[in-house]
Amino acid sequence: MDKLVNQRIKQVLKGDQEAFGEVVEIYKDRIFSLCYRMLGNRHEAEDIAQEAFVRAYVNIESFQLNRKFSTWLYRIATNLCIDRIRKKKPDYFLDAEIAGTEGLTLYSQLAATGKSPDAEVETLELQEIVQNEILRLPDKYRSVIILRYIDDLSLNEIAEVLEMPLGTVKTRIHRGREALRKRLHNM
Amino acid sequence: MRTCSEEIVLYMQEYLDGNLTQDKELELKNHLQKCQACQSHFQELKRTEALVKSVSRIAAPAHFTNQVMARLPKEKNIVGFKR
Repeated sequence: MDKLVNQRIKQVLKGDQEAFGEVVEIYKDRIFSLCYRMLGNRHEAEDIAQEAFVRAYVNIESFQLNRKFSTWLYRIATNLCIDRIRKKKPDYFLDAEIAGTEGLTLYSQLAATGKSPDAEVETLELQEIVQNEILRLPDKYRSVIILRYIDDLSLNEIAEVLEMPLGTVKTRIHRGREALRKRLHNM
Repeated sequence: MRTCSEEIVLYMQEYLDGNLTQDKELELKNHLQKCQACQSHFQELKRTEALVKSVSRIAAPAHFTNQVMARLPKEKNIVGFKR
């Protein structure tokens, strides 16, 4: 697949914009998932994920063809997400959308009573719980955990994406996983 | 319940990272067989990992690619993206 991606990038470099569409198709789910898990809001995730591809396109000349494209793309997307998180206001409004529950506000959550017997709903609930616990992690732990599990990235690849020493990645993964274990062990 | 040494917990973590050497893995297994606290700690870690994995990947919204293509700066030989 890396070979195909490199071919498409060479076409893009020659001015074939359409070839970039194929690159987007290949990575869109992974990049969107990364942004959604980082930001917890579909609308924002869509905007940032699109922006990541636009930035990749605009800066494609600085991509080195002997490197892995996904590593470079993950770096762009992760940095955009972290910038967005830092710009966000910490205030929490009652009508603000709750992470992972598109369209659902605190009002409707307050009104909800009891537990549905429907297994699918429970799975959805569980997904929301897991998503919310990921979002509660400080962003330095959140990014390594998400990168680790979204695409089964090795610790070495994560170190490359985040441009930090392997030892730091390791420590953050371990602490992030331990923090999640403590919060999720009753699930 | 408290787990034993930090070293054993580190082994668990390295096992999950896919970085635990065979002899240390054996050491971990032997320990888990006789230590209930570490055994549940390990189970919880594995379950946490499974939960996080299960939510990790979701599909991008429809028209995502078209929207990206529409946001690209226009260039001389622009061709629309067709699926």
